Amino acid sequence: MNKTVNQKAWFFVIPVFVLVAFNAIIPLMTVVNYAFQETFGNNVFMWEGTRWFKQIMLSERFHASLGRQFLFTFIILFIQIPLGIAIALTMPKEGLGVPVCLVLMSMPLLIPWNVVGAMWNIFALPDIGFLGHSLNALGFDYNFTQQIGDAWFTTILMDVWHWTSLVVLLSYAGLRSIQPAYYQAAEIDGASRWAVFTKIELPKMKKVLTIAILLRFMDSFMIYTEPFVLTGGGPGNATAFLSIDLVKMALGQFDLGPAAAMSLIYFFIVLLVCWVFYTLMMRNEEKS
Amino acid sequence: MIFSVLQAATWGDMGKEKEKSFFDFEFITWMAWTWQTAAFFIFIALCLTVMVIWEKKSPGGDPRRGILGLDTTRGDRLFISLLGSAFIHLFWLALVGSVLWIATIICVAYFVLVFKYV
Repeated sequence: MNKTVNQKAWFFVIPVFVLVAFNAIIPLMTVVNYAFQETFGNNVFMWEGTRWFKQIMLSERFHASLGRQFLFTFIILFIQIPLGIAIALTMPKEGLGVPVCLVLMSMPLLIPWNVVGAMWNIFALPDIGFLGHSLNALGFDYNFTQQIGDAWFTTILMDVWHWTSLVVLLSYAGLRSIQPAYYQAAEIDGASRWAVFTKIELPKMKKVLTIAILLRFMDSFMIYTEPFVLTGGGPGNATAFLSIDLVKMALGQFDLGPAAAMSLIYFFIVLLVCWVFYTLMMRNEEKS
Repeated sequence: MIFSVLQAATWGDMGKEKEKSFFDFEFITWMAWTWQTAAFFIFIALCLTVMVIWEKKSPGGDPRRGILGLDTTRGDRLFISLLGSAFIHLFWLALVGSVLWIATIICVAYFVLVFKYV
């Protein structure tokens, strides 16, 4: 049977194309245009060439915020991925516990970012917040608004609280999709719990874990609202991650040119890291 | 001038009224186009068009395993070339600083190598 060729169907793609043009392509083009020019507002632009790119590439401030960003992202991935898998493994597989656990797990994911930031800000305040007050009462010298270590600790704790559930839900979905036959075979072979985990569960969860790591990487690498509400990038610049620094530059200082150049470099780094992650994971996928 | 919308102002133009031209629509001036960035996007569009034509001529994307041990198609190679070129230019700016066109020549060579071997 011959399939009919009907190219008119392409017209149905037009709405999506228009939508993507307006929310992605045109803004991106504008950022590229801004990155080569200087402006003082009022739609007047001066050509500056590649000056802003050079300035950002050599800027201590950019290196510092990039370093903080990578440190933050690696810390939260290092905590959230193993913790998420561990929680998913201990979740009930049948009965009333399943919906209860799933709903409890999804709660943090449903809270808007700035509400999470505000909640943790109040929760961690050293004088009246439950966390801050308790820690101080226990004898720790805790003040996230003044001490760098405490600010990092609170930001990481907040992110772990907010997003570990995502890893849990994805891992749980991966675990539930494993056929019982694998477990039965493992039982017949007398495999240990650890062997079951490393030889059956982990390989079977690989795809969802790839997605989990990519999503968590992207989200944490572009994190803005929560640390902005919690610490405002402070104390000093201690928790000014890339997005916070970028917004400070673009809107605080109105340096649109350098900010555009910085956001393009930021974009290239995100693209590169995601590509490397994805390629490495998919390459192992084909080997196994 | 017809294409003055593509002409960035210079410091000498400060305070002068900008000359209205044929393409100076209000809805486009906010994008701050210059002919240099327009040329860049035309280049990208040309790349994509060439890829489409190439795909029409020999469908399937020419998948293979290159020297990096990666399974790539033509689209992957274009992506690697473009992203790599961005980084080559950026690091050239950071480490050498001037004569950017040498970086562009390196990128052309890089493009050819990626399409041949990766």
